[in-house]
Amino acid sequence: METDNLSDLTAACIRCGFCLEACPTFQITGEETESPRGRIYLIRSAETNKLGWAEIAPHVDRCLGCRACETACPSGVHYGQIFELAKAKMPSKRWRSSLLRQLTDVKRARRQFQLAALLPGRKLPSFISRLLTKQPTSTRIPRPQELRNYPPLEGLPPIKGQVALLRGCVMDALFPNVHEATIRLLRRLGFEVIEIRNQCCGALHAHSGDLQEARTKFNQLVTSLPRDIVLLTNSAGCGSHLKEYGATAQDVSEFLYENGLVDALKMSDGLACRVGYHDACHLAHGQGVRRQPRELIRSVPGTELVEIPDSDRCCGSAGIYNVQQPILAKHLLDQKWGSIEFAKPDIVVSGNPGCHAWIEQARAERSSSIQVLHTMEFLEASFSGLFD
Amino acid sequence: MFGSAELSALHAIVGADGVLCGASVERAYDCDAYTVDRSKPTAVALPKTTGEVARLVRWCNEVEMPFTARGAGTGLSGGAMPALGGLIISTKRLNRILQCDIPNRKLLAQAGVVNSHVSKVVADAGLHFAPDPSSQTVSTIGGNIAENSGGPHTLKYGVTSPHVLGLTLVCPDGEILTLNRREQTPDLVSLIVGAEGLLGIVTEAWLKLTPLPERTETALIAFSTVRAATQVVSAIIREGIVPAALELMDRRILEAVRMAFGLEFHPDTEAMLLVECDGAPASCRAEIERVGELSSGALDFRLAKNEDERSRFWLARKKGIGAMGRLAPTIVTHDGVIPPSRLPEMLEFVYAIADEHQVGVANIFHAGDGNLHPCFYFDDRIPGTVERVVAAGEAIMRRCVELGGSLTGEHGIGIEKIDMMPLMFTEADLIMQSWVRRAFSPGNLCNPCKVIPNQKGCIEHRRRWRGAAT
Ligand SMILES: Cc1cc2nc3c(=O)[nH]c(=O)nc-3n(C[C@H](O)[C@H](O)[C@H](O)COP(=O)(O)OP(=O)(O)OC[C@H]3O[C@@H](n4cnc5c(N)ncnc54)[C@H](O)[C@@H]3O)c2cc1C
Ligand code: SF4
Ligand code: SF4
Repeated sequence: METDNLSDLTAACIRCGFCLEACPTFQITGEETESPRGRIYLIRSAETNKLGWAEIAPHVDRCLGCRACETACPSGVHYGQIFELAKAKMPSKRWRSSLLRQLTDVKRARRQFQLAALLPGRKLPSFISRLLTKQPTSTRIPRPQELRNYPPLEGLPPIKGQVALLRGCVMDALFPNVHEATIRLLRRLGFEVIEIRNQCCGALHAHSGDLQEARTKFNQLVTSLPRDIVLLTNSAGCGSHLKEYGATAQDVSEFLYENGLVDALKMSDGLACRVGYHDACHLAHGQGVRRQPRELIRSVPGTELVEIPDSDRCCGSAGIYNVQQPILAKHLLDQKWGSIEFAKPDIVVSGNPGCHAWIEQARAERSSSIQVLHTMEFLEASFSGLFD
Repeated sequence: MFGSAELSALHAIVGADGVLCGASVERAYDCDAYTVDRSKPTAVALPKTTGEVARLVRWCNEVEMPFTARGAGTGLSGGAMPALGGLIISTKRLNRILQCDIPNRKLLAQAGVVNSHVSKVVADAGLHFAPDPSSQTVSTIGGNIAENSGGPHTLKYGVTSPHVLGLTLVCPDGEILTLNRREQTPDLVSLIVGAEGLLGIVTEAWLKLTPLPERTETALIAFSTVRAATQVVSAIIREGIVPAALELMDRRILEAVRMAFGLEFHPDTEAMLLVECDGAPASCRAEIERVGELSSGALDFRLAKNEDERSRFWLARKKGIGAMGRLAPTIVTHDGVIPPSRLPEMLEFVYAIADEHQVGVANIFHAGDGNLHPCFYFDDRIPGTVERVVAAGEAIMRRCVELGGSLTGEHGIGIEKIDMMPLMFTEADLIMQSWVRRAFSPGNLCNPCKVIPNQKGCIEHRRRWRGAAT
């Protein structure tokens, strides 16, 4: 971090507008106030007391935090940082922090997701969602995965090192199979996995402007780690946040790519299918990881990687955005599903639990036969054949 | 005056979600990419059809509210700034391609369609829309038409004007006109293209599509002095070679580009030429080889080996101005034209003026046609800086005219250069121009206070615009 001063950070924007068409909310609305350039200008104006923070809040709230604008910006504006600092200045919304508490506490989250089965259509009752956002919801509460019965691992290489895997909050509650698949893949390459349980990296908090809580969570996590160990995560949002805060962290796809999974995959049984890869924002824009997951997928015997148009455009999940801004989020999801169908894949994969759950909702609504998986589940299936 | 009656009148035209107002909106729309002057709109409307634009304009006439068209707001001369407040008519929802006639190589687009989107849509048919301002990934067809935008490939393919076959215009009084190059004399299309939004709002345009070249060769050539680079430019032109693009970047631009995109260059480089030739494979190859021979005195001659490398060369050029943000918080990009032979002395003058006024300057220009873009970088939060930048810019423009050039190549006059118009035009010229304007816009509500100096009711506002620039 070079500076955490909002005035300097926003001054880096020269208003060239090159980010405009990269921004999903500007694309949909055409409104300058819903564009990166507009938001930066408004934040700069609030910082210099030309506007009130409450006044600009709706526009900052509508930002997905997807950071596509950073990829597009030639001037090197650190939008992600501007966004988090600005959120921290917003008049707080109590329900948001309580929702966050529910989500980031693993045991609580699992119970909440299970209870949701009792709600009609698994949707938030509309009177509650209206209370939260004044908009009717269409966001369903995702159902936790059933545990897959993976066969025991055989013919493994000797252990050559240890890595830590952050089980995290949302991923752990909703997608236990993803962790299982990740651990199996790492073990296939000779890595023993230390699982970090019941710890949260603080990404969702930082994203919603609770910087103090984010810092506390991050410090707790880092101090609990064994020394000199690489912290791996299979959740793009966590990875991008951990790197930003200075942890020695990697996305599993990076680590596996660098440590020989490509060769191992080429020796595996493989899967005959067409696979589309959706770039999670916090992998593509947040960490610049685009190539590694694609190379891994390409190495699966029999698999054809098909490109989804605008694969790095946000699906609308964006942390808890789909609960806060249901209308825009739904619009983005429908767009995303349209692009996916255009590419005609059998399976669509991504590297983030939020995208996974959200895109799965689109699939379920249409009863489509396209399957939605995490990259790790798909890669592991190349060895064990399992992904249902 | 803007109250609930006005609001509901606008709602009736464009629907409730088509009108924006309030403090944040007034701020966000108070300038374009030229940030020295700013002025708030009263409200913003986002129409979706020509009919809606016409009704908005008629309503503005009824209530005597000024109105200003705005595309992507990437203009560099303040054209989209609502000088007297009033309504901003944004074309961002006029974003559909209405007809695509591949056999006849033309396409009908609404004014808010993004330039590069047009090329994307017809790429499979081997066609493209040739005007390529560096802002093409975001700027709109309407903005390109209003500014008669050019780009690196203007040298061979021309500016926007020859690529517009016809257009639909909502006149300043709300009347809808359909103009077609072939059918009307005088050629009103040529009058509207480049009119900077003063003569009405363009809502649709028939665009000419150009076949993609069979082959393209791109070279990046490094020189140890600017003079050496400009001599090669003259030599290329003297030989009768018409490259598709012939661009010059000075050392400071290259440094910004290195910071932004990691583009490496020879350590002694003071100027870099980007030369692109296109056409039939054999002639294209021969041309670029000849360029290579002419550049024998260069430090380094790199030919793009593949499409990837070619786009990397271009990235440096197209995002060079944007990358300037790495050097300082604010930039102002100037735009002037001089005879290409005067480039070396002009450049020395630019550096001297910047030093004198204590602002940083970097240069990128379309060397082939003498269109230079000195780009000042500074921190506008430091009091007094903006004034120095304005003074330095004026000195440069004066020099362009003295050298037999012009005030603008492609960014327009807008608000930025309005006071400099008399440098280039006589009083009679200016009177003529305001007559044309009045013929279209008797009420003076359509994009007021732009281009034509000394308009009634504008002068007293100047101080206020500039005071808003923090
Ligand atoms: C980094 C950068 C690089 C640039 N590079 C170039 C370049 O290489 N070449 C070049 O020529 N320009 C360049 N520009 C300037 C600018 O991008 C062009 O002038 C562009 O055509 C403006 O388009 P816009 O949609 O942003 O228009 P805006 O900025 O929104 O508007 C520009 C003017 O056009 C008027 N206008 C907009 N739409 C309409 C309409 N539908 N009908 C009537 N009037 C309308 C507005 O009132 C205003 O006066 C650059 C700008 C930036 C920031
Ligand atoms: S691209 Fe970067 S510098 Fe340009 S307007 Fe967007 S954020 Fe600002
Ligand atoms: S983070 Fe995404 S939604 Fe927010 S301004 Fe940037 S591009 Fe737009």
